[in-house]
Amino acid sequence: MVNARAELAINIRKLTAGYPENTVLRSVSWQVPRGTLAAIIGPNGGGKSTLLKAAVGLLQPFEFETMELLGQKPEIGRKQVAYLPQQEEVDWSFPITVLDVVLQGRLVRQGIWGRYSKEDYASCYEALAFFGLEKHKHTQIGSLSGGQRQRVFLARALVQEAELILLDEPSTGLDAKSQHELADLFNTLRERGKTIVAATHDLNCLTECFDHVLALDGSVLVEGKPDEVLTEANMVALFARHFPKVRASGEVTLHES
Amino acid sequence: MSLDLLLEPFHYGFMIRAFVGTGLVAIVAAAVGTFVVLKGLAFMGDAIAHTAFTGIALALILGISIYVGALFFALVTALGVVFLTRVSNVKNDTALAILFTGVFALGIALLSGMPGFSGDLNTLLLGSVMAIQAKEIVLMASVAVVVGLVMILFFQRFVLVAFDPVGAEAAGFPVLAFQSLLLTTIAVAIVISIQAVGVVLVVALLITPAATANLLTKNLKTLILLSSAFGLMSAFLGLYISYFFGAPPGATVVLVATLFFGLVLFFQKLRGVLG
Repeated sequence: MVNARAELAINIRKLTAGYPENTVLRSVSWQVPRGTLAAIIGPNGGGKSTLLKAAVGLLQPFEFETMELLGQKPEIGRKQVAYLPQQEEVDWSFPITVLDVVLQGRLVRQGIWGRYSKEDYASCYEALAFFGLEKHKHTQIGSLSGGQRQRVFLARALVQEAELILLDEPSTGLDAKSQHELADLFNTLRERGKTIVAATHDLNCLTECFDHVLALDGSVLVEGKPDEVLTEANMVALFARHFPKVRASGEVTLHES
Repeated sequence: MSLDLLLEPFHYGFMIRAFVGTGLVAIVAAAVGTFVVLKGLAFMGDAIAHTAFTGIALALILGISIYVGALFFALVTALGVVFLTRVSNVKNDTALAILFTGVFALGIALLSGMPGFSGDLNTLLLGSVMAIQAKEIVLMASVAVVVGLVMILFFQRFVLVAFDPVGAEAAGFPVLAFQSLLLTTIAVAIVISIQAVGVVLVVALLITPAATANLLTKNLKTLILLSSAFGLMSAFLGLYISYFFGAPPGATVVLVATLFFGLVLFFQKLRGVLG
């Protein structure tokens, strides 16, 4: 008999989360089946990053009914989760090579003790080859382009043997070619059984990159296939209140209360 | 003649102890200082040194080892800030400033109540490298070995929590434990360095050699080795200059370290202009 819960990469019910004196998510429920390429869209402050962070325990939820990663409690399931932060959250000047970043995938699995084995290195070289990064293995990570940096972190996720890969704004700073390459990589990773979930403000790549979209503005507005979610009515409902309004008097108000 | 002159400082036991002691703490401080520089923790280093001062004052009053008192307060500061920023909404540097000025003020109040405190104050603030005793050398060497072992054993994990703490924590890696261990190592390095250069200048042993090395390489292991080398050279040259010119040793060591930084920066900029 198939365990329905184990078939879900993310299983969240009635999650309320945020920061002190700022509740960002209110009673959010979301189920993501394994092997899905899912995107979270919404306005700034709508809770895209907050949802990712709460899912992996970077943020303590205020309350929830169910929180599961890969069919397990988050503290167990997160061992098989890779989280790629926003580009600006990483110190790219840090003196670390591509190989050392990718090797960190093994470190996360090892925990407190353990040293890199021959198998660890072999796994890294395989991941570097898979992402076309062999010739950059001794390069300082900050010397790479935005697309290449993303690939290094995805290689690390592969070495970590992560089943669920969460990305916060992965297309920020990428040119069109790199975005297409990223979309191809997502598909390839999905073919290897991985689940990809990305918080993104980029609506252009949704149809190409993802097969499931969650529209979020504090609570879930709508979810489904990209063409079901990307309707004019949904986009107006999602973003309209965040656009400035110019009244007949000339007064400009930034947000409707 | 010139060799005799160069070897002259080594005719005195107190100078040999000064060279060995300062050299040891300079290497340790510069090695762990690499992480301080990379993570922008200079203010933290300064705060730890100032609160260690209070620990020393208290130890003098209680008649216990100054290292025990200094280490206790240094750890309270380092780990207290981690705790404060985790459990409250206070920003890291704000929590640090509140904690360290409060504890430092307590140290001054304690020391001002002691007879002949001004002499102790000078020693604490500026160091007393010439007064290093053999048993302190043993302590410094032991600490150097332990810090070295911790750095070697957990090097890759320290790099992980320094480079990508968010990604590591998301995957369930014990980030808090390793951040605390790294800060403890930094606190220990500061405490054993206070004897050499004093509370005020100890942060320079931590920061300046690492910042100098950081100008020259983007390879972390090379960076740590270079930083230690700059620390050691600063200690030796500083003590030599101090011996021959009668300058205060702690301050001279720091001046030499600063000079190295200035020279490397100058030649790097010059190369940039010419190249």
